[in-house]
Amino acid sequence: MAKELIKGNFAIAQAALNAGLQCYFGYPITPQTEIGEFLSLKMPQMGLGYVSAESEVAAINMVLGACSTGAKAMTTSSSCAVALMQEALAYAASDELPIVLVNVMRAGPGLGSIYPAQGDYYQTVYGGGNGDYRMVVYAPSTVQECIELTYKTFYTAHKYRTPVTLLADGLLGQMMEPAEFTPYPYPEVDSSSWALTGAKDRGGRTICSYGPDEQKQIKHVFSLFEKYKLISEREVMYEEYMTNDADFLMVGFGSLARNIKAAVRKLREQGIKAGMLRPITLFPFPEKRISELASQCREVMTVEMNMGQMYTDVRLAVNGKTKTSLLNIRPVGEWMSVEEIVDAVINSTEKVYASI
Amino acid sequence: MEENFIFAGFGGQGILLAGKILANAFMLEGKNVTWYPCYGAEMRGGTVNCEIVVSNDEVSSVHKKDTDFAIVLNQLSFDKFVSRVKAGGTIIANSSLVKTLKPRSDIKYIFAPITEIAQKLGELKTANIISLGVLASACHQLTTDSLYKAIDYVLPAHRKNLLQLNLEALNLGFGLVAPQAV
Repeated sequence: MAKELIKGNFAIAQAALNAGLQCYFGYPITPQTEIGEFLSLKMPQMGLGYVSAESEVAAINMVLGACSTGAKAMTTSSSCAVALMQEALAYAASDELPIVLVNVMRAGPGLGSIYPAQGDYYQTVYGGGNGDYRMVVYAPSTVQECIELTYKTFYTAHKYRTPVTLLADGLLGQMMEPAEFTPYPYPEVDSSSWALTGAKDRGGRTICSYGPDEQKQIKHVFSLFEKYKLISEREVMYEEYMTNDADFLMVGFGSLARNIKAAVRKLREQGIKAGMLRPITLFPFPEKRISELASQCREVMTVEMNMGQMYTDVRLAVNGKTKTSLLNIRPVGEWMSVEEIVDAVINSTEKVYASI
Repeated sequence: MEENFIFAGFGGQGILLAGKILANAFMLEGKNVTWYPCYGAEMRGGTVNCEIVVSNDEVSSVHKKDTDFAIVLNQLSFDKFVSRVKAGGTIIANSSLVKTLKPRSDIKYIFAPITEIAQKLGELKTANIISLGVLASACHQLTTDSLYKAIDYVLPAHRKNLLQLNLEALNLGFGLVAPQAV
């Protein structure tokens, strides 16, 4: 198929259909409303389930119900509305349900504004629900990746029976660029051993996050974390850019990484050996690779549009091996420009060289 | 090489569509391109703009502080974006609705009576396509041929009857100003 000029939100919506989406439950919010708009048109025509829910809380709980039958179900939302969904996500993690959630980030905290931001790193990666659980998170950087990672989100959710979030941002949701709808590349996951499909000719099943038995609950939490361990071993994804001989590493995620890449090119022209690592999975975090690169770099700078959330994970990964810093000129709104990033790195490297 | 373009005007002037056609024209030429709209709390009659970045390499930044070309179809947009044109860059202004003042001396100005031409053509809605024609005269990496292909590509099947009108509008815009010297 040829490339077409497509908006990030529409790319996610069409990719979800290609991935076999059967039910969508959602409530509109800028900057992701086009996803629901697109699906509300397509899904009824295709005989699939589209429900415009009465609230975000209702939408995510409908997804929870649909997923318990093994169906491919999804909701999409944005920051402050995703905050409302956290209870159900903790339930889904414990119930081991393959919920697909798309969060097209806007600014916070609270109602915030509709401008792009990356302030939901903590909410998404560490979770706002209760108890011990982790959420797998994919963070696309281009419209093409919106397609590929939507596919991956569905597959990972069903393969590991765990809620997965696709974490995009307002800029990526609203922008258009040429992209290609490759076919859904993953095999279908069999859910017949656990899905609630009616107990005809078999014994009943229960999906429940409540464990009245202390020992059973302990075992359950341990088993969840065995699964997260497996995911951490197998599913880490990241992109490296000019890191081979880099002695100044920048770490950034999402669409902002485009600007960081361009900054790396400009810094190289000025003789600074810059490189970039972009985590594609925010959980599992590419801590091992960052740790390796930290050994060869004089500084690891985290560049993000928030007050320093991924910075926490980067510092844990670097673990004192080298200097770490944070570049976050603005927490929301206009993405840091290539020039702003270049200037900040030059400032920082001048200081480093001066201190030698 | 990377160039960026800002289209701006009133809501209803076809600003976002003009940007989309431009982005498609570049895409059909096999270039990397991004299109990013302003989005915010706006109402009918308010301003709208979108930004297109084209590059032979990966597009570095979707949304930039400065621009090579600003195409402004009303006064509000002229006032807002004239300061965002790069030194040596070009602003194309719809002189039917924009005063022909030159507040800066380090940029090129192209004033064209786009709305009047659209009225003469008999369809006010073609102003955005006429502005694309003007842009093609000023921008070396853009041809009316690729714009024409993009219009054809963007028009849905049930609107193909408008292709001829749009081609006329494009050519009217292209003939308005002499091709710019390098």
